[in-house]
Amino acid sequence: MDIETVKERAGPREFSPADDLPREYREAATRMIQFHANSEVMGGYLDKEFTRMAPSLDRKLACTAKCQDEIGHAQLLYRAAESLGVKSREQMLDELQNGQGKFLNCFHYPVDSWYEAPMIDFFVDGGAMRRQATLKNTSWEPYAHAMDKVCFEEGFHVKHGEDILRELMRSSKANQERTQEVFEQWWPRILQFFGPTNDESHHDDFAQQVGLKTVSNDELRNSFLNMYVPKAEKYGLEIPEYPRIFERDDGTMAVREDDLDWDEFWTIAKNDYPGSEEQIGSRRQRQEAVSWVRESMDDWETGGGRAAAGAD
Amino acid sequence: MIWEVFRQEEPGDRHTHCGNVHAPDEEMATLFAQVQHGRRMQTNSLWVAPKEEIGEVDADDTEFGGTTDKSYRWAITYNNIDASFAEEVAESEADQEEHAEKRGGT
Repeated sequence: MDIETVKERAGPREFSPADDLPREYREAATRMIQFHANSEVMGGYLDKEFTRMAPSLDRKLACTAKCQDEIGHAQLLYRAAESLGVKSREQMLDELQNGQGKFLNCFHYPVDSWYEAPMIDFFVDGGAMRRQATLKNTSWEPYAHAMDKVCFEEGFHVKHGEDILRELMRSSKANQERTQEVFEQWWPRILQFFGPTNDESHHDDFAQQVGLKTVSNDELRNSFLNMYVPKAEKYGLEIPEYPRIFERDDGTMAVREDDLDWDEFWTIAKNDYPGSEEQIGSRRQRQEAVSWVRESMDDWETGGGRAAAGAD
Repeated sequence: MIWEVFRQEEPGDRHTHCGNVHAPDEEMATLFAQVQHGRRMQTNSLWVAPKEEIGEVDADDTEFGGTTDKSYRWAITYNNIDASFAEEVAESEADQEEHAEKRGGT
């Protein structure tokens, strides 16, 4: 199939591993799904910090369940990416380990307090879910199938995240103030979660033409604002003055893009931010610490394990 | 030899199990699968897999979902929160609720 045919046929769940797709499509889809899978891994690693910080056993259980879900989502996504025939799962995991693999901006900022839990679990996950719901209509069928399961599970994450925010904002004045403080720190990062404006996004056009993406960054960010600003306000959070949010003629909200720090965003996009190093390095250590598990499974698969067992 | 047959109705759908056929090899299995399972029902694609290659674990072997109370991992547990503000969150919750009923409650 040539690229023109791909563009003509592009639609929800249109292409599967049975189709002979041009390299351009397969590479773009791999880049997008690998990024998504990496983000699930790095999000899971960030989130695991909250298990330790959580103030009650119920919260700890929910936090571990959420981490487990995120790592599971990564596995589904690496499979969906692998089925494009461009990179193996092993290769993508190695790239994440050696700092080449890219992932969402919000997961480059190490967390150090429970007050940050609702920033990730409610706002970032809420934003991610907005995007993921639209990806149920992506043109790469295995990706869409992965999204069915991901979206099924994410409702718990977002509601649990909101429940934490509600709890914090109804507790002591000190807790409310500290939540407000971290909210101010996280709010611009959350708005950048959706990426740059449409004309600055390198991959947006092509991804939309071939049906990998169905909704633009701007549309997603604006719909997120319309849903989540009222939520923040409901719990008594004050939206910072900058970046400025304005109401458009049709009554929907948008952000003044120039108010956001795009230098920081692009530094993060290259994995060059101090936090990037910390997060990637901390995962690398964990990855190395459990390498013996992967190795023993590989040995078993290739027959070494059976032979050894037989010798006993 | 028995081959299990999986049918996909429309492009983009999942392949779901629809029956099996007797056939001496994969080629014949795909042919018989077409004849027996691809003619009347809407079909876009069929998969065949040797029955003996399919592993199974069922409810007699294990307790799916675990043996402890895991209500903390379901959206419906957080009932102070109204999910209706975002359709994708509400939809996820509704799906989870439906499956919880099928499982016989959480």
